Formats: sequence, C-alpha cells, structure tokens
Amino acid sequence: MDKDGSQSKLLQDDDSILPAGFVDKGADDSTGDLAATFKQPPPERPETVRTRLWVLLSAWMIAIFLGLPLWHATTTIYRAPLPMQEMQNWSEGKLCKTEFPLLVEVEAPSLPDAENLLKTVQHALDDANDFAAHKPHHLRLRLAAKKAESEEDSKSDRDENVACLLRLIPDSQNGYNHIVQSSSRIVDIHYPPPSSSSQSSVSAGLSKFVAETLEVLFRQEQELIEHLLLPQTSNPGSLNAISSQSADEGRDKKTPPKPRAATADITRRMSRVVKYSSSYHITFSLFTATSLPASWDIESAISQYLTPLLSALSPISNFTISTQVQYYASMSSGITPSYDGQSQSWTLKKEDLSSFINSAEWPLASISNDPNLNFILYIPHPSVSPLTIPSASHSNSFLLPQWGGVTILNLGHSASGLEHLSNPTLKPVLETFATHLLALLGAPPHPASLPIRLDSLIRQRSAEVLVSASSTLGSLQRLVNALPSISIPTTVSDSVQDSIRHLSLACEELRKGSFVKALEMGRVAQEEAEKAFFERTMVAQVYFPDEHKLAVYLPLLGPVSVPLVLGVFREVKRVIAEKKRLRSSA
Amino acid sequence: MTLLFARSHQWLISPSLKIFSRLLTLLIILTLSGNVVVADTYKEKLDLQPLSGQFLLASFNFQSHGPIEAFNKQMFQLFPRSLGQILQYTHTRELHLRFALGRWDSELWGAQPGDGQNAGGTGVETWAWVEADNDVEAEARWTSLNNALSGLFCASLNFIDSTRTIRPVMSFNPTGDYPTTNTSRLFLLHGSLPKEPVCTENLTPFLKLLPCKGKSGISTLLDGHKLFDASFQSMSIDVRPICSPHTGTCDIEIQQTIDMVLDISRSLQRKDSPVPRPRDQHELICDTSKPYASNEYCYPMDNSIDLPWSLSDLFGRTISGGCPFAIKIPTEETQHVCIHAPENKLKTMETLELAAPAPTEGQPDLKCYVLRENLPFDLSFPKQQPPISPLRQEPLLYAERSFTGHGQEHGGVKTVLRNPNPNDPVEVVYLESLPWFMKPYLHTFKAQVLPAFDGEADVISELYYRPALDRKRGTQLEAKLVVPPNSVVILTYDFEKAVLRYTEYPPDANRGFDVASAIITIPPHRQGSDGKIIPATSIRTTSLLLSLPTPDFSMPYNVIIFTSTIMALAFGSIFNLLVRRFVAVDEVQRVDLKGKIRGLLGRLKKGKTE
Repeated sequence: MDKDGSQSKLLQDDDSILPAGFVDKGADDSTGDLAATFKQPPPERPETVRTRLWVLLSAWMIAIFLGLPLWHATTTIYRAPLPMQEMQNWSEGKLCKTEFPLLVEVEAPSLPDAENLLKTVQHALDDANDFAAHKPHHLRLRLAAKKAESEEDSKSDRDENVACLLRLIPDSQNGYNHIVQSSSRIVDIHYPPPSSSSQSSVSAGLSKFVAETLEVLFRQEQELIEHLLLPQTSNPGSLNAISSQSADEGRDKKTPPKPRAATADITRRMSRVVKYSSSYHITFSLFTATSLPASWDIESAISQYLTPLLSALSPISNFTISTQVQYYASMSSGITPSYDGQSQSWTLKKEDLSSFINSAEWPLASISNDPNLNFILYIPHPSVSPLTIPSASHSNSFLLPQWGGVTILNLGHSASGLEHLSNPTLKPVLETFATHLLALLGAPPHPASLPIRLDSLIRQRSAEVLVSASSTLGSLQRLVNALPSISIPTTVSDSVQDSIRHLSLACEELRKGSFVKALEMGRVAQEEAEKAFFERTMVAQVYFPDEHKLAVYLPLLGPVSVPLVLGVFREVKRVIAEKKRLRSSA
Repeated sequence: MTLLFARSHQWLISPSLKIFSRLLTLLIILTLSGNVVVADTYKEKLDLQPLSGQFLLASFNFQSHGPIEAFNKQMFQLFPRSLGQILQYTHTRELHLRFALGRWDSELWGAQPGDGQNAGGTGVETWAWVEADNDVEAEARWTSLNNALSGLFCASLNFIDSTRTIRPVMSFNPTGDYPTTNTSRLFLLHGSLPKEPVCTENLTPFLKLLPCKGKSGISTLLDGHKLFDASFQSMSIDVRPICSPHTGTCDIEIQQTIDMVLDISRSLQRKDSPVPRPRDQHELICDTSKPYASNEYCYPMDNSIDLPWSLSDLFGRTISGGCPFAIKIPTEETQHVCIHAPENKLKTMETLELAAPAPTEGQPDLKCYVLRENLPFDLSFPKQQPPISPLRQEPLLYAERSFTGHGQEHGGVKTVLRNPNPNDPVEVVYLESLPWFMKPYLHTFKAQVLPAFDGEADVISELYYRPALDRKRGTQLEAKLVVPPNSVVILTYDFEKAVLRYTEYPPDANRGFDVASAIITIPPHRQGSDGKIIPATSIRTTSLLLSLPTPDFSMPYNVIIFTSTIMALAFGSIFNLLVRRFVAVDEVQRVDLKGKIRGLLGRLKKGKTE
C-alpha cells in the first residue's frame, strides 16, 4: 500500500502541482484548458463580507487583548513593587541626618556664677560645631540638679541620658587638669581657685578648659562616627553630590586637614570590628600541640575575669560561651618558626600570623546563628618552645580582625603545672582576651572611663547599623535595576518596607538621644534589609531570557499567527481589487 | 551597678582592687582544691579476630565519658565541641549514627561483632531521641540535626526529609538513662540514606572527634586507603546520657566504633605490588583433589594456606604508642589491643617487645596488650602449616531480602529468615522503611514457614503499619514474628511502583532507586534450652535497587510542542472555516503556477540571450 501510494503521488506530482485532493477526474480534464471550464463564482453578499471582517477583527482583538496579555502574564516573572526612590534616598543618606545630642551635666558647688560659665562653654562648643557643620555630635550642657531634691526618682533617668558628669573642683596645687574615673561617667575637673581680684579671667580660663576637655573626651568617638558616615555621603553616584561636595569644600576650607595617621588608625581599627549583632557566641579553645595540659580551669576563670565585662556589655549585645580543649593540634604546615639564638626562643614570622589558624584541622566552626568569636590559647610543642611572635607586647598574643584572638602560652619545661592550667595561670590570658574582645566589638580605647566608652560604643554601633542597613537597601535597589529578569517575591518587598520603617524610627530615636532604642531599631532594620537582599528565591531564576521563552512557544505562536496575517492580507487584497474594479467600471 | 563596674574593671585599671581580686582568687582556689576535679575519662580498644577465608576483623572502639553538667554548659574537654553543640542546639538527648559499606557475609564470617549493634545498613543510617513539646517541633529539630550533621560529616544527611523518616515503635529502645526527662517528651526518629557512598571524607571528621585525632593510640592505624579497601566496614557514633544508680550523677557518653573486615591476601598483595597483577604460576597452590586436575592446568585453591601477616603489613603502619588519655585511667585494668584466635594460633604470635600483656583470666583464646606512650606496637603471625581454622560464632539468624516479579508496574519483596538453632525459637522484630513511590499491598503480606510448622498457624504476632502519603512520608512496616527452631520463615509482599514527576527523578534515573535495608531486631531474651542470656541483637539485610519506569526527559518540551501544534491546528481550521469563502470546484480561482514559472523562465532566458 505504501509503495502504491508513493508511486501514485509521484505520478501526480509529475503532471500536476495541485495537491492530491484537488486532482479528481473533472479537474484532470480541465488542466489542459483553464479558461474554457473556469466559472466565475457568484458575487458575495455584503453581509457575508461584513461577517468575515467581523470574524477577522474579533480574532485579532482576542489575540492582542486577551491572548498576548495572558501569555505574558503566565510566563512573566513576578516582581513585587519596591519603594525604589525611597531606597535610593536612604542609601544616599538623604532621609536621615544622623545626630547625636549628648547631654553633659556640670556640677559646680563652689562656683558662684556657674550659669554664666555654662553659657560661655556652650558658646565655645557651638562655635566649634558651626566650624564643621557635618559634625554629628551636639553637646548640650546642663547644670546638675540639686542633689537633695530628686536623687532617687531621677537616678535611672540620668543614667540613661547623661553622657558624662563634670565636677568642677577648685584645687590650688595642680592648676588645670582633668581626671576621668574609670568606673563611672564622672569627670573631675580641677582648677585653681579664683582669687578675688581676677574673677572674670579665671572664669574665662575655666570655660576654655572645660570646652577643651569635652573635646578631648569625645574626639575619638566623633572621628570614628564621621569615618563611618563618610562613605555614605560621598557616594559618587548619588544625586546629592552637589550638596555633599559643598560640605566637603566647607570642611576643607575651615578645618585643618586631618593628620593622615589618625585616619589610617581609624580605618585599621574599624577593619577589625566584627559586624554588629544582638548576640555573639564566644568560643574559648585550648589548643595544645601535645596531649598536655589535659585540662584547664576555664569555667572559674571566665566567671571571675570575664563575666563582669560581659554583663557590662549586655545593653549592647548578649554573649553565649562555649569552651573546648583540642589535643595534638599542629600549626598549619606552611609555618616553620625560626630559632633566635639571642633570646633563646623560637619566633614566628609576621606573615605567618595570618595563616596561623589551621582551619583545615582545628574544629572552630560553630553552628549557632550568632556570629562566632574565637579566642585561642595555643600551647606550642616543647621542641619549639618558647615560641614568640615578632614585636609583641609581653602578652605574646595577636588579634585576628573580625575573627578573634590568639595567645601563645609557653609553659616551660618544668613538670609542675603541665597537667592542668590553673586559674591564676589563665588570668593574664583572659585579660588579653578581654582587651581583644573590646577591640573586636569596636570600643574606642579612649577615654579611660568604661561607661563612657560603652556609651560611645552604643552610638558607634547605631551609626554602623544605620549605615549598613541603608547601604544594603541601596545595593538591593541597584541590583533590582540592573537585573530586569530577576524575580522579586512579596517577602522581599515586605522586608524592605519593614526595614525602611525601622530606619526612620531609629533615626527619630537618635534625634531624641535614646541611643539604646535607636540601636535596637537599627538592628531590626539591618536584619530586614539583609533578609531582603539575601532572599534565596531571587537568585533561583536569574537567567531565563525572553528569547528562550519565545523559542519554546514558537510552535504555538507561528501556526496561529500565519492564518491571522494571511486573513488580513487576503482581505486587503480583496479591498484593493474591489476598488480597482470600481474605478475601472467607473 | 557601680559595684558591677568596679568588678569589671579590676583587671584593667584600678590597682586598689587588685588585692581584693587576688584574695578572691585565693579563696576560690582553696574551695576548689577541696573537691576532686571531675575530668573526662577515655578508653580505647582494638579487637582483632581472624575470620575464615583469609579475612581479619578489626574492631576499633573509642569511648569517652564526661559530666553532663559541663556538657550542658558547653564546657567541653574530651567530648567534641562540634558534635556537642549540635546536640544541644537541636535538643537531641541520644544520637546513633551509622556509616556502612559492603556486606557482612554471615555465612562465612558468622555473627556480627558487638551483636550487630554497631553496624548500620548500607549507606548512612541515623536515629535519635529528640526532646520536644510536640511532634512538629520534634520534626523541625530532627531536620536541623540532620542538616548540622551533614555539614559535620560531609555526608548528604540533609536529604533525610520527612519521606525518609520513620518512627519505629518496637525496634528501638533508648539505651541511655533519663532520670529527669519526661520520656513522653522524647521522640524517636529514624532516617536512612541507602545510596550514600561512604568514603574518606566521612572518616576524616570522624577521626577529628577523637581526643587523640589519629596521632597516637590505636587510631593511628585508621587510614582511608586501607579502611575503604576493606570487604566490609562500618563506622558508628553513639551519644547517650548515662547515670550512676548509686550516686545519681549523670555522664554523657560518646562511643565511636569502626568495624572492618580486611581481606588479608588482598592487603598483602597491595603491599607487594600496588598495581594488581595475576600471581605467578609457582605461587599458586593447585587443587589436585579435583578429578579433572592435571599437571597442565592449575585450579587454584582459595583459603588453603594461612598467610603470614602483621599489623604493619595490613595497615601499612604500626601503632605509634598509646593515647595518653586512654593510659591514665587508674581504676579498671586497661586493655588496648586484644586478639581472639584459637589457642594454638596464639602461641605462635609474636609482638614487638614494647607492650605489656594484660591479664586475661580463663580465656585461652584471647590475648590482650596494654600500650605505652610513645612506644610503637606491632604484632605478627607467622605462616602456619597445617592451617588452623579460626573461631566462628554461629549467628542467631540469617536474613536475606530480594525483589521478585518483573515489569515496570508491579513487583514483590521476599525476605528469608533462617534460624539455625536446632532447639530455640527466635522472636524478631522486622522493620522496613520503604520510599513512598514503592507502595506495598498489605493484604499480600504473608509469612510462610518451612518446613511446614505444626503449631500456631501464624508466626506474625504483631504488626504495625503506617501507610505512605505521596511525597510526604514513606511506608513503615514493623512486624513481630517468631522463627521456629531449625526452620525458615519467608515473608513476602507485593507492591506497586509509582510514577514520579519529572523533577523528582535523580540525574541517573536509569540506575534505579535504593531501598533501605530491613532492620531485624532480636530483643534480649533467655534461651530456653541452656538458659543463656542473649543480649539485644540486630541484623540488617542488604539494600535493594528498585527500578522505576523512567520517562524520556525531553518530555516537557515535547508536550509544549504537541499541545501548541494541536491548539494551532484547531484554531487554524476553525478560523479558516469562518473566514474562507466556499465555492464549487469549478469556480475556484486557479493560480496557473505552471504558466507563471514558464513565463519566469522564459523571461530569464530572454535576459540571458540579450
């Protein structure tokens, strides 16, 4: 049957170009003489023509207004609406002028015209502030309330709001100097007692000194926060380039150029600081190259030397602690300490320190969701002991930026104390770790008062989270703009909204001066912004180009569009023919 | 508040407080020195046992105890922190993890070491008691436990989802002690990954959990190349709380074991020639007892000679001294390396004279040694003629499982349980965890006893069955049955193969899908005939490979094209019906193609000639 069919088909192809269906007997006869048998079809009725036009038109309408949108809607990628402009504004720092109003109380029981003095100092400070308009700090002075009347009820209030308390104490011996108390916010200012003759000059000298003291107290923090806010304002792509430029110019003109060393120091310090989180996990590890010492008194040592610091830090972050002992821990294979004959010790090279942590073998990963800080006490092998590190202080330790700290402890060769590390042995180690911890958290090394430093840490952290959250939002906005084929689920837009809401709340709290709340809000904003940025489903279909879609649906689009186009073509031809006919007949 | 700051600062600045702090330190030391500091203890032991057929079973056992208070405070000493943190984070009270490769040949080797408690099914198997308020929370914690373990052991444990998780009812019992925990808050979850290939990347983290890290002690013998070249190997980790009934204090125990069966001739050959080569003719021992044997052809005999071997031959190294933590235990007599072999054979054994023999009372077929720190240890067996056949312990039960049936739609499973004991019946719990796409017909589940058993008609006494839900959970089938003495019980059932969705097929779909081993548990019992107490024993069958109907994976594109074409055809014909004009055949306006072409050709010719 196949053979016959193909044969007959071949034959037909030979003598007729018409499709097989058309080749019947009558037609076969007619091929020879077309004109003789050709009949003109009867003229069409106008309503048939009209119906046909309607059909054609409605088919096109359906295709254009229903088919195409439907196809587009079902194959397109969902992109939730994002407040793009607002995100951009945040990232450029337009929406929040970061301010840190600081309240300074002054206690001057022995000074008669304290009010007057305050006014002068405030003037001096305000002048300094006007000098550099960008300075985020606003110091505000207030005379301390009379102790007797509201000691109890305002205690907590004062603790929260007062950045520091200045006590002016007349002192005939030493002249002008200030003493920062290490465990409170009180700063004692000593000044020579006024002689009756030169009342005004003393007052002027004192006010100048007070202003200077305050400047010294907060300078480091101010520089740090300025540094934090700087990359935000001098964003090259930002729209407010003009205004920031003018601010830059203003600063260049008025303030003396900052010493480069100071900036480098701040950059160095900032690069160490771990990302802010509301809680951290701290791991203390004893790594020993042999099986000795087998145990350590870490639990009592922590509760004695570290817990007080951690509880002081608790308004900023919480800490969980774990400890471990790892035996037979060898250094990375690339590190070979060299023997120094002079000091009779083994020294590590400076470049070795960065690869000191043998991350392939030392189990240091932690599964908690909080950032992990590692503090390692390393006991070297007796064959390379004592092991020292170059240019180290007496503590023989080093800090790994954003990661933790390492202390090398040389136990010597005496048999005693090798089995077990006692609490007193651990004391200097934990003290080193405590300084490392403060450096990692970003507490400024100055002034000496711990509460003031912690306060300043809170301010610094809130500035940091604000900057980080807004820059994350900015990155998300640029990403969404740059990749039109990326899908944006509603969770992302929700997170972005939430982040923006918390950002503005944080900004408000900052202006009010409640920094702890601002930090809290900023943290939420940062978390939400990061949740939006790292949304997993956004990345899943990054590359699914439109050409691909068209190729897949071509078998549908092609055959459907051909009759539609041909139908239009035929109608147009018919209309033209009609017109020609009419013209010729006319 | 001020006091707090004062204390916080004593180590930083204030000199006046230093004296106070020193006093405090002294006070604390004084109080502490009164109590004995409770430290973790650690034991390790290597058991060697020659098996018939030139095989050697090496069982490594590492065990450490520590007070549970320190564990709960995350103050880890010998207990590995990486694992301890995971257990705490996921509220896991007891964990059992198994990695296994190869098949334990019980016909040849006899009963499994440790009553099969340390062995798992092929691939990875894990079960745990998770503390939680309700089922949903337990499930969530189980998932995060698996994810964390997956990272720790470089295994795909994160693929243990709800479809691979079962909650056995009769097969497992907690082995730890829970005096304070309400047992209704403990949820048992069990998961298995039969497809997981166990390899060196799982051994390295396993060794890292040990205090001596494979740098001293018996763990120095563990080398990935040797371990995974073995005929059978199984690694296990068990963590459980243990409470002393006298003092009421609780410890956390972690026990890690490795059982491996080394092919002695293969290991020795590997040592002599790393590239495998056929043996020279003069080395072959020909079986001349065969009737067709002649001088020209050699029919080599297996297992006919006792090959001489030593630890350093088989493992490529010696034990480099004892692990210091395993030596220090003052109380019990320690044994680090033990060898079970027939007495005659033990007499010929030689050791490096550096280890002290440990006493073994009344056991002539056992010899043990205590390792010393930093002193290497090795032992060797010379060639023995005539060969001494090694000890073999008859297993309680032989089990094997296979697929029956044919075709892409249905299949069957047949499990054969054989009780070799001539006198005592064995009560077993048979547990199967089937993937959801293998749907058993429970009405076809039958047990047949051979030879025909006169007593009770049905050997199955209890049956627990949880049917599968598509894509949500697998089938769990647990049956308690009795295998009569010296007879065989054959369990059979039929199943239907489901058709999966396109994306549910793995990349190598035509390889088939692994079905986890069946777990056969024999609860502890007293033997009727001689009153011997048999501890709980478990046996695992091999895993099965199920082939499902696999589609052509260009299917979706084809489907789109087919449907598009049909839609386009339908639309085209309807549209044409509506738009075209129908006329009689002789009224068709014919396009004279022939004439047109002729005209074109003529014009072309004309153009050329011009």
